[in-house]
Amino acid sequence: MRFLAALIGLLIAVPAWADCPLDLGRGTGIVVFSSHYLIAFRPEPMRIEVGEPFSLLFNVCTKNDKPAELVAIDALMPEHKHGMNYRPTIVSLGDGRYRVDGMVFHMPGRWELAIDVRAGEESERLSHELVVK
Amino acid sequence: MKRWLFGTVAAALAVSAVAQTPLPWSDDEVKAIARHGPWPQPSPRDPSNRVVGTPNAIVLGEHLFNEPRLSADGAMSCATCHVAVRNWGDGRARAVGRVELDRRTPSLWNVGYAHWFGWDGAGDSLWSQSIRPILDPREMAGDAARVAGLLREDKTIACGYERAFGHRPGGDDEKLLVDAAKALAAFQGTLVSPRTPFDEFRDALVSGDREAAARYPPAAQRGLKIFIEANCSACHFGPRFTNGEFGDVGIPFFTRPGEVDSGRLDGLAKLATSTFNLLGKHNDDASGASALRTRHVQRLHSNFGEFRVPSLRQLGAGPFMHNGHFATLDDVVKHYSEVNPDRLHSDALPLVRPLALTVEQSADLIAFLRTLTAEAPARPTPPALCP
Repeated sequence: MRFLAALIGLLIAVPAWADCPLDLGRGTGIVVFSSHYLIAFRPEPMRIEVGEPFSLLFNVCTKNDKPAELVAIDALMPEHKHGMNYRPTIVSLGDGRYRVDGMVFHMPGRWELAIDVRAGEESERLSHELVVK
Repeated sequence: MKRWLFGTVAAALAVSAVAQTPLPWSDDEVKAIARHGPWPQPSPRDPSNRVVGTPNAIVLGEHLFNEPRLSADGAMSCATCHVAVRNWGDGRARAVGRVELDRRTPSLWNVGYAHWFGWDGAGDSLWSQSIRPILDPREMAGDAARVAGLLREDKTIACGYERAFGHRPGGDDEKLLVDAAKALAAFQGTLVSPRTPFDEFRDALVSGDREAAARYPPAAQRGLKIFIEANCSACHFGPRFTNGEFGDVGIPFFTRPGEVDSGRLDGLAKLATSTFNLLGKHNDDASGASALRTRHVQRLHSNFGEFRVPSLRQLGAGPFMHNGHFATLDDVVKHYSEVNPDRLHSDALPLVRPLALTVEQSADLIAFLRTLTAEAPARPTPPALCP
């Protein structure tokens, strides 16, 4: 709830971000943001199953409405310090939208998604935690 | 006197059965247990194999499975090592083909549900994995021409092939080798292990049937609690009790002085160069979706010494681990109880760490593991291939 309020506040405060579509086809996905970037993403299929391949659909926006690029995606289990056994690929769908294929979380537990984005010379890593059971 | 004694004992047993109650299980524990079922799962699917699940291919596959003429000297079939009454293994620490090999014959129970095959995952489909021992000079030492010749020239097998594939065996030897392997895979996909005492308990617990749950032995329940608390299901995940991936659990990887079995690292190299992998022309799945793991899997230094996480269903009498390193289940549990964390080279919270189990706890864990096995019904004689 607090997160939602912060997000709404952020969108009101920064009008350019209001143009960043968070709807990724099946309702609003997960939103991650920093002072420069606003990223919405959702898994496909919506429920991530342990050991089953899934994709991620992304929409990457910037504060100043400059074009942004999704550079890399990775995931690791912070507790065990191991990553995925699979290397995902990124396909640009245009207008800041991306599709990432080849994700597999091969163990249950807490995974940290590392999202590397770039706008011009400026790059940044945003992260988000996902728990799969 | 005897009758009285018998009656007393029977009454005591009945009372103890009634009085037995399931251990208290938290909601999280029930959820964790629920994830190991239901069993059996729906029949395995494999879009890369156009004949999987078809009755005629299954019959052909079973006949080929028992066919020694697939081997160079006509002395060895798949069934030589994968023996039905030995849980589709051979009960040896290390497999024996034309020579002794470095790894144990894996069980074929539930193999159709896997996505990587062989201890090193060098196979990405059950049919491609079925080709490997046929061609391996240390095992059946066969070749495509021999297999193709058998399919073309043996009238009964040729008839079985036509029934399974809808046309007579053609002239392309490699394609016929692959088709034989796809029939073998269709058969192996039917090897689904039976329901076990654990499955009865799991279903009873999930449905809230305390009376049925109470029939599960208390030692097995205590062992199941240890299994959950020790996070064994991080790798032994889901209904098959395996996540189908790979791990290094501290088993020595020297095969002989100066030689190592690098496991998954070597398996991925073999996968990449195999003409029978799912990225090749023999994959029947035009969508390419079945090759997704093969396309995206990455070869990492950490793959050295990793081996496929085995299912815990139908464990059998042993030996255990990829190289038969442990003779008994007691030895396996002792290993996990006493494993040296330094051997595992982990700078984080290791997935495998010494459990420091007491004698009683070890016995309980073994009691639980034993409940993942049930007696399989005797196999009927394979139906005739062609009248």
